[in-house]
Amino acid sequence: MRIDIALLELGAMMIVLATLGRIAYRLGLPAVPFYLVAGLFFGNGGLIPVEEAVAFVDIGASLGVIFLLFMLGLEYTPTELRQSLATNRLSHVIDIVLNATPGVVVGLLLGWGPLGATILAGITYVSSSGVIAKLLVDLGRLGNRETPGILSTLVIEDLVMAVFLPVVAVLLAGDSAVAGVVSGLVALSIVLAVIALPARAGQRASRFVDAESGEVLLISLLGIALLVAGIAEYFHVSYAIGAFLVGIVLSGQVAERARELLEPLRDSFAAIFFVSFGLTVDPASLVEFLPIALLLALIGGASKFGSGYWSARRSGSSSKGARRAGVTLIPRGEFSIVLAGIAIAGGVNADLGPITVAYVLILAVGGSVLARFVA
Amino acid sequence: MEIFETPLPGIGVRYDFDSEAGRRIGVLVHRDGRRDILVYCEDDTDSCSETLRLSTAEAASLVELLGGTKITERLSDLRHEVQGLSIEWINVEPTSPLAGRTIGDGRIRTETGASVVAVLRDGESFPGPGPDFRFSTNDTALVTGSVEGVAKARRIISG
Repeated sequence: MRIDIALLELGAMMIVLATLGRIAYRLGLPAVPFYLVAGLFFGNGGLIPVEEAVAFVDIGASLGVIFLLFMLGLEYTPTELRQSLATNRLSHVIDIVLNATPGVVVGLLLGWGPLGATILAGITYVSSSGVIAKLLVDLGRLGNRETPGILSTLVIEDLVMAVFLPVVAVLLAGDSAVAGVVSGLVALSIVLAVIALPARAGQRASRFVDAESGEVLLISLLGIALLVAGIAEYFHVSYAIGAFLVGIVLSGQVAERARELLEPLRDSFAAIFFVSFGLTVDPASLVEFLPIALLLALIGGASKFGSGYWSARRSGSSSKGARRAGVTLIPRGEFSIVLAGIAIAGGVNADLGPITVAYVLILAVGGSVLARFVA
Repeated sequence: MEIFETPLPGIGVRYDFDSEAGRRIGVLVHRDGRRDILVYCEDDTDSCSETLRLSTAEAASLVELLGGTKITERLSDLRHEVQGLSIEWINVEPTSPLAGRTIGDGRIRTETGASVVAVLRDGESFPGPGPDFRFSTNDTALVTGSVEGVAKARRIISG
């Protein structure tokens, strides 16, 4: 590796991302789809070659996933997860059925087999908690009546992914369906055990990790997250989930400080992850699959609006509030990309790449714009 | 005055109430201590017309301007420091099942393990009230115990 070329490549890449990030911020849009598109135009023969820096980008992308999921885990306490699980169960079931079905059907029609269709179902289902939480803050809707319902939907979707991801990872590893079911059950029981963990255990663990110096705390957090992620990956249950669970266990002031310390790391490495996903997709194939992705996005947008509207009406919102809830839940984002990334690395049909990029692009941007107009 | 408490997963806790003038007002307590003041629309009480973001220091100043005391804030600090121990002020609303009844009637300590360590009434304090202490409307009880115990005691006292 020639370090000078590698640095030049990375530097140029970051400048392009920063410019796009500024534009997105001006327009009040999420930056994730812009990073994805940037990734499309990098790489060999593209705007900026990524040859010497490719090893760093690969590792950086994995770190990006780990930090994304770690921070997601830190956002939620076991109590919040328990409360969300206890309420609105029917709404969550409807959310899954309505939004996973389009993925299954289209996946099967494209001839990807049951595994490919299952993964596409996850991609069409999961809304972007990152994009949506930011949208709620930006639009001053945290006080709205429909907001607790929206947030609890996001919590449950992320939790569903925490069980779904390990199952997919095991199936991708080429193990038998039985092994997939077994590891799914193991993952499910670990996730449930972490949720059921008494607050005191979380506090004890947090106190054990805590350190007065921010530097020491940061290094400790990195060590633990990477170690657990590595163990999870060794057992084929996806490194992302290990990091997610560590985040959930940490609580109180440690979690508060961890969020502050890790945020800049998450932002930088997540950007690398989105770019690296874009790199794997050929812009020409994006054009080729645009019609399918557009159809999928239209169905996915409508089905999410439907499940969100229904759930908000059911918990007592006015039809206006329910319309807001339905539209706000439309954006898909980081989790869909994480899923597609794991699937493609595991050898699922590579057409998943361009379809996911276009799907996330349309719904993250379209959903954010729509949310502004439905007042 | 009834204050509604709504947990917002990943964000914090929202408190809101209806003012006598018919407007709905809320306070959003972010997990990092920041506070937002929420003013709901007059015609659509499901949404906010204004969200004012306040830093911790600004929120404290506003409380002083509004003539409040800093006692609750000090207590919430205390709550962070002593993990596993919960201390809470609980109002005896007119609708409370314990208004006009004694602490013993509520079986608070037997049922929850938490204790009422003091009661405030019209600016006067009654430290260490016995089981025969009679609550009246608008009393404020200082309850301490385990987090779960205090939460249960809150349900007993505020109904």
